[in-house]
Amino acid sequence: MTSTLKSGSSAHLQAGALRRFVATPSFFLLVIIFVLVIVLGSIKPAFFNGPFVIAPLLTGISIFTVVGLSQMVVLSIGHMNLAVGPMAAFGAMFMGLSYELWDLPLVLGLALGILAGAAMGALSGWLVARTGVNSFIVTLAMSFALIGLVPTVYSWLSAGSAFTVKPDGLDEIGRSSFSAICVNGACGSNAIPLIVIPALGVMLLIGYLYSHTRLGRELLMTGSNVDAAQLSGIPTGRRIVLVHSLSGALAALAGFLLAASTGSFTPGIGQEFMLQSFVGPILGGTLLAGGYVSVTGTLLGITLTLVIRKGLDLFGVGLETLNVLLGVILLIALSSDQIRLFFGRRRTRRPAQVDRTSPPPGPKLAQPSVPEEISA
Amino acid sequence: MLRQKVVIVRSLAVAAAATLTIGLSACAQEEGGGAAGGEGSLSEVRLALVPGGAHPYFQPWQQAGKDAQTDFGLAGVTFNETGGWDQSKQNDVINSLVANGYNAFGIFGVSPTDINSTFKMLKGSGIATASIASCPAGETNEADFCLSTDVEIAAYTAAQAAIEAMGGSGVLVHLTGNNVDSNTQRRIEGVKKAVDETDGAVTVLPDVTDIDKDLTTAQKAVADLLAAQGSQINGIVSTAYNPSVAAATAVADSKLDIKLVAIDDDETILTAIKEGSVYATVAQNPVGQAYVGSWALAQLASKACTVKQPGVVVDSGSFLVTKDNVATYDDERQAASKKLKSLFSDSLLNCK
Repeated sequence: MTSTLKSGSSAHLQAGALRRFVATPSFFLLVIIFVLVIVLGSIKPAFFNGPFVIAPLLTGISIFTVVGLSQMVVLSIGHMNLAVGPMAAFGAMFMGLSYELWDLPLVLGLALGILAGAAMGALSGWLVARTGVNSFIVTLAMSFALIGLVPTVYSWLSAGSAFTVKPDGLDEIGRSSFSAICVNGACGSNAIPLIVIPALGVMLLIGYLYSHTRLGRELLMTGSNVDAAQLSGIPTGRRIVLVHSLSGALAALAGFLLAASTGSFTPGIGQEFMLQSFVGPILGGTLLAGGYVSVTGTLLGITLTLVIRKGLDLFGVGLETLNVLLGVILLIALSSDQIRLFFGRRRTRRPAQVDRTSPPPGPKLAQPSVPEEISA
Repeated sequence: MLRQKVVIVRSLAVAAAATLTIGLSACAQEEGGGAAGGEGSLSEVRLALVPGGAHPYFQPWQQAGKDAQTDFGLAGVTFNETGGWDQSKQNDVINSLVANGYNAFGIFGVSPTDINSTFKMLKGSGIATASIASCPAGETNEADFCLSTDVEIAAYTAAQAAIEAMGGSGVLVHLTGNNVDSNTQRRIEGVKKAVDETDGAVTVLPDVTDIDKDLTTAQKAVADLLAAQGSQINGIVSTAYNPSVAAATAVADSKLDIKLVAIDDDETILTAIKEGSVYATVAQNPVGQAYVGSWALAQLASKACTVKQPGVVVDSGSFLVTKDNVATYDDERQAASKKLKSLFSDSLLNCK
């Protein structure tokens, strides 16, 4: 009897979790992506070309997911980082310097670049926490400063505005696939690039931070209600510095992955990061106002935009049409999410639960961000 | 908390499964995809001309590509400018075109330091590849050949013409494009070389860079420059398209005695040369690059020919256009294109 009750309770719990997952933006995105992949693949079988479509697509998804996570961590406390791209360029610049001028091995250069990115993020966070100035303003100013600084350093220290020395392993991370890994004569697929490994590692770490640690809960609490967080004894100023540092470190890592995939470290790294850094997390359900994040949602949000772009590329859509279609499809995706929430509410006929596990309330997705101003 | 864990773990698991599914599907399909080259006629050649992004310089490529398709009997020619001046996006565009069966590529690489990796990947798949209108940075060109203006020589020629128009002394300004592009650094070197030859008679103000993004950006930069320092400037040399067009109009409107040497042959610049407000321009050869490049690529893709010296760099020519030859310079350019084609067929290619 007891075991039956336990079993029933467990089944009920699982069914509840499933219902909850089905109600998340992540599930909805997954469905849209699945349908898109099937439709695109049916009309254009070339969509399933391993080395020339799937592998580049997964490479883009890996890089931009890290970019999205870099923005997501600051969104978790209701802030934003407009300097994601320039911080990526700054971190990547240190990596390039490490390899070209200081002859450091891959891992040391990578660590140094990530530290540089983190330091730049920490400076942003410290300025926000210390002065109470809106993170929008601080990171915008930081962005301008870095956009000026990075090309200047490149022009001083490199020939042709690029660091081109490649340490052992850089090409393998950026351009190799699992086909290079063979066990007992059986090799992996050339459709899956090795660059997915660091991206998955980062996803797991960030997911673990927010779902399994007290620190993650404190960050979400700070994003939900900074006053309540302070009254609960959370050192919100230090948490702000921490997330901005983390954002800078992730941006630098994304810069590294981009450099590894394209071939060299240039000041142009990160120029395309800002829009994607917001699109991924927001499509995935992360709230601009803070307090709710979704790592999987960020991955799926990025995946959706890149699958759409890849599909349009394959159909040879022209530049103007491509931009218009991208905008329209993303608007439809966001609107569909609102429709899903509307019907979901009607079906359940009960007030939406406001807890960490429920998806974010629909209207909040469209609300403008009002970042909290916090004094240290 | 438990529910949260369940949801997160499941979400990650679903995402991983989706990735794996796509990967396996891809694995199953990969044999049939791609565009590995095989011996055949020109009618089996599908050629893609891929600029780094949208820019007026590349517009003549569209017609040149169509002409090449008709004249050489190619199966298809496409012009794709959706790279957006981002190397990753351009790589995506190229990969998609390969998946669609294109087997010959004329590419203007966005990043001269990175484009060799793309060329290497294409050549590794048996695809004929040329770097058009810009060569990779450094000594190595992984493409079959590079057909481009020598930007340093073009900038040097333009600066020399500007200095001559200034009377050999005075203050010169250099307007140019993306500062982080190694070709821009070569243009800066070309101008510097011409200035250095004057032994201090000509001084050059700090280079005005990053103003080739669009015409509006260039117009604003040139207007600011003339408003702040117009009276001190004796000459302007522009080595980028949009600043040239902007400066041609601004100098004429300002009535300042500034000798302008531009680049490329936009109608605004040619009209200004005829009217005398622009001293000269250095015209490049975009039609020749695309047309002759298409022909050579078609020979390589059909396996009718091979390149004698893989990675060979060929100057597509630059032409100083003044009031004296503004009506006839295009004849000179067309003649140069014919010579280029002969150069390829007679000296650069080994044909069966």
